[in-house]
Amino acid sequence: MKMRTKLPLPITLVILAFFVFVPMLSALEFSLKTSVKSQHSFENYLWAFRQPEFLHYIVRSGWLSALTVVISLVLLVPLITWLHISNSKIRPIVDALSLMPLIIPVVAFAIGAQVSMPMFVQDTVLEIPFLYAMIALPYTYRSLDIGMSAYPIKILTEAARSTGADWVSTIRFVVLPVIRASVLAATALCFALSLGEFTLTSLLHWDTFPTWINDISQGNVIGAIALSMLSLVIPFLALAAFSIFMPEKNTTRSVD
Amino acid sequence: MSLHTSQEVQTRRTPSFFKLIPVIPFFLLFGFFFCYPIGKVIYLSLMSNEHTFTLSNFATTLKHPYIDGIIGSIKLGLISAGISAFPGALAAYFIESHGGTKLKRTIAALSGVLANTGGIPLAFMFMAAIGVNGALTKFLKSAGFDLYAGHFSLGTFTGIVIVYLYFQVPLMIIVFSPAIASLRREWLEAATSLGANSFQYWLRVGIPLLFPSFLASFLLLFANGFSAYATANALTVGNVSLTPLQIAGLLNGNVSAGQLNLGKALAVTMILISALAVIPYLIIQRRVQRWKK
Repeated sequence: MKMRTKLPLPITLVILAFFVFVPMLSALEFSLKTSVKSQHSFENYLWAFRQPEFLHYIVRSGWLSALTVVISLVLLVPLITWLHISNSKIRPIVDALSLMPLIIPVVAFAIGAQVSMPMFVQDTVLEIPFLYAMIALPYTYRSLDIGMSAYPIKILTEAARSTGADWVSTIRFVVLPVIRASVLAATALCFALSLGEFTLTSLLHWDTFPTWINDISQGNVIGAIALSMLSLVIPFLALAAFSIFMPEKNTTRSVD
Repeated sequence: MSLHTSQEVQTRRTPSFFKLIPVIPFFLLFGFFFCYPIGKVIYLSLMSNEHTFTLSNFATTLKHPYIDGIIGSIKLGLISAGISAFPGALAAYFIESHGGTKLKRTIAALSGVLANTGGIPLAFMFMAAIGVNGALTKFLKSAGFDLYAGHFSLGTFTGIVIVYLYFQVPLMIIVFSPAIASLRREWLEAATSLGANSFQYWLRVGIPLLFPSFLASFLLLFANGFSAYATANALTVGNVSLTPLQIAGLLNGNVSAGQLNLGKALAVTMILISALAVIPYLIIQRRVQRWKK
């Protein structure tokens, strides 16, 4: 669209930046405060790193989130591939079901999980990734579905099958490389969502990094602010590392 | 044609039960970890302490103090969505129509992160900025404006609304940007070549086209503000009536109620109100998408 003036965009960006960064930078400044007035240091961060629980909860939140991603992908990639190939009558039903978690407030879902899950499920923290996967379902499903719609998945899989590949290798070597971008997007979304999840976790009385920050804040507010800043930065770093170490796409030729 | 034949081949080759195999794990997990909990909440919300059918749990949700929570949550959803929707839409418009690809991608990624901030970290950010000893508070004070001269506090309803804008505006940018991106340049050109000025284009073409998506986005923002728990929990100390906080109080046993299943009735009430917003959102989104093709 042709504009007479180029001003609106910079103004928008300045307002947004102010709105986003003033609270963030204020908290950063706060987290660097020391007991001596108007001096700054990293002592609150060092304090946080020295907490014996720090590593424990980072690792725990990390593997729970990673497991959520694995559950989501193992469940959804074959499912959506199949829905696209078969054009089954079930597809609109599954499409609609995948959006249902959007309707349910997480607080209500937490009550449901608490009253319904059998003891052997409630006794293990492994229930958490499965429940996270349900909360993330609308986002992961849509992301993978859109990714697959952009390619002739049916023709590709038929080509793979007719040249003798079994289903597992068809998905591993044909489907996954083709929809790599949307798998990455779904992974990032799902991972970030799980890493920061607080409501469900705390209402089900499990401890992860976000709920630990909550506990810390009762005693050491500035320490908790430092941890909060880390909790904003860590998902960024995790996702950046993830996209760096992911092998480069090299299957475009074989798709042609 | 070729697609059709290959489907026939597929149908002949595989027996019908076998064809359903990839769907079974999904239905099992979705049924057990999603439908079963929700079903159980609905079932229990209709049960008395003696495990007989009753509507009295719902009757209690409509009495003080629970009705205050419901009204408070609805107000919070409406006000936070109302304040965020228009600025978010405007920001989405300027970014989408004037920004380069790189800027759009950066904003999309940033909005994705910001729309998911909440809880203690978000509460702390605002305490550090506009809390009693916040950086912006001090700055404004030195400029002659005392934020805390009146009754303002972050732990009040107004405070919660302000903090919620931090994730509501980015959410608006995320859900509304696709609608802006679908406005075609040809429509503006067609309108202009027929003699319309910019105002007429917006009045007759732009706004009517964008309105359904705007309404849908507003509804999603409402549901988001209505059901948010972590941030409200971090900001308040039981002084603001909101349904998610009341449910958590009942669930954690901080609040005792004569009716064991009151929390479930509150949860079902929340689901119903949320559904009233999210289902129209999903329907409008679907229709807009179909019409775009």
